[in-house]
Amino acid sequence: MTSRPEHLPEHLALLTDAQAAEFISDGLLEGREDVPSIALNKIAEPLPGDETRWQLHRVRDLIDDALGAIRDARPTAADAWLAPRLHETLRLTRREASEKRLWTYLALGVAPDYVVWRHRSEPKGQGRYGRVSRGRFVGPHYTQAFARLWWSAELFRDGSDYRPVVVACGNQDMLNSALRLDVVDHRPTALALVRLLEKGTVRTGREVNALTSAVNAAAATLMYDVMAPDVERDRDVVRDWIRASESAVPSPRNDLPEGPEEERAPADAVDVLSSLFEELFTNAPVRGRASAGGD
Amino acid sequence: MGRGMRAYPYPRLSGAVTARVTAVRLRGPGEHREQLDVRACSAVEQVVALGRAERDDWRTARIGLAASVPAREIRRKGHWSDVSVVAVLTEGATNARSVARLSPAPGSEGDWAGEIELDRDDHLDRASLTVHVVARVEGVAGRIIASTEQEWMIDMTADAPLRARQLDVQTVSFTRGAEWLRAFRDAPWVVDASGRMPNVRLNSDFEGLAALMEGQGSKVERVVGEMLLAQICADVWTAVFHTAIGDLEVEDDGTPLFPPDWRGAVLREMLPDIFPGRSAEDALREVHLRRIGEGSWADLQPRIHLAAARRSDVPKALATTVRDIELLEQEMHA
Repeated sequence: MTSRPEHLPEHLALLTDAQAAEFISDGLLEGREDVPSIALNKIAEPLPGDETRWQLHRVRDLIDDALGAIRDARPTAADAWLAPRLHETLRLTRREASEKRLWTYLALGVAPDYVVWRHRSEPKGQGRYGRVSRGRFVGPHYTQAFARLWWSAELFRDGSDYRPVVVACGNQDMLNSALRLDVVDHRPTALALVRLLEKGTVRTGREVNALTSAVNAAAATLMYDVMAPDVERDRDVVRDWIRASESAVPSPRNDLPEGPEEERAPADAVDVLSSLFEELFTNAPVRGRASAGGD
Repeated sequence: MGRGMRAYPYPRLSGAVTARVTAVRLRGPGEHREQLDVRACSAVEQVVALGRAERDDWRTARIGLAASVPAREIRRKGHWSDVSVVAVLTEGATNARSVARLSPAPGSEGDWAGEIELDRDDHLDRASLTVHVVARVEGVAGRIIASTEQEWMIDMTADAPLRARQLDVQTVSFTRGAEWLRAFRDAPWVVDASGRMPNVRLNSDFEGLAALMEGQGSKVERVVGEMLLAQICADVWTAVFHTAIGDLEVEDDGTPLFPPDWRGAVLREMLPDIFPGRSAEDALREVHLRRIGEGSWADLQPRIHLAAARRSDVPKALATTVRDIELLEQEMHA
């Protein structure tokens, strides 16, 4: 199986898709080969400056602990553990987080072993290998192995509280479908979806997909932002939190870390939307469920 | 199905909603304040070019907005109550979304005004700004009853408020530049379509090339430079097309999806030249099938080149070059 890179430089770096292409071999995607880490770091572009948050070992240590903590469980269980801790370790502005080259470097230069362990499919026959899809290394934010975790933590956290992130990432269907939709960019909407998972209103993949499609479709005619307004976000709080990473201790491994102290989403906004979404779900077609409203 | 085709299950406004940016105020660290000069906003293009700011360390931009909604229609038809007008600012790349309520402007009916703030750390490239009219309709609150036809673009870096984007061209040494460029040291230029925007790198080690492209030299150099630029553009379109097609998200049933960013826009623009007369979705599926080996990928190449050449005005540039060369020859023999 693909192993931990032999050469790990001091700082994180950037890698373009074009540069990454020559390292994404069939051997790597099937988990048979390693990434030639010296060659890769020769072409990767190190992040400028000497900020603590760009120290590579902080992320790598976290990945090692994730592999240690989850090794015996199903790899999917790692998402809920890693998402909040990765977000808290790698303190980024959204502008920085939209830098695809950073995520590509994390996947190939920092933790290809993790990507293979977490995302390789079951082999489809004797003597065949399972396969990681390419998008886990270089895909969009909702597919790429680390971008999807960081962004789910960013979009589902409630101020400094990462508990909703753990709920959202604990359900693969929520993580996969919600992250693709623009509606979760509105915080009370994201939190209302989490509320329905917590309440058990939706459980199975089909139910979650029916809910997210119904919520997304209704957003074409309903303005959730007006029905359930969020507070205005104070980005200075986030900037301070990012600056504080200079002196931050490693993310706690047993307890949940704390995110930036932004104001929470108004509780009544989340209430309004979760009742609405519950109603939308009741009337939504779910594959395999007898239709509720009658067609 | 286009937006206009959607049948709404409730009455919507038929009159138009328009919005315009009236002012942009930037705030930097400390007490720094700057009013962006008027040439940074184009009401025709509906673009704000924040790259025109005098200082580059601004953190937030407050965008003043004026919207006009069909007030008489609202009053006359009487379908709608609790009417509000909101501005929504979004950017896909950063999943950013912020909303501001506008207020009725005193004096004239149907005019609304307000401000929306944008934080630079939340944006990367281009934010889009739309205005929606929201009301209670038939007992349902929060219905969108009208929206602006075309969004405003807030460009974070552009110097000029233009919708069409300019190609990013950089001149660098391929032998002394980034490691990956060394493999291309004999090439005059390379196109990198993998990033946020396609990028052309001109090889500064290739003697005379930069001067040719800058168009500062003799008449002959200018003529050749124009032709070269068209050719490079064609290379960019071809590269972008292949990048976009090679990296499509595919649904479970095999339906390829248009990429959400500029790659999708490129495909939508080129596909009608590649499969004339077919819908964009149909054409995309066909190209995707051929690319993955079902049907001939090779047969498609001339059509891709044709589409790229059209978009970069190669035929026109070539015709001009031929004519200019004739003129130059006549001058020389005169």
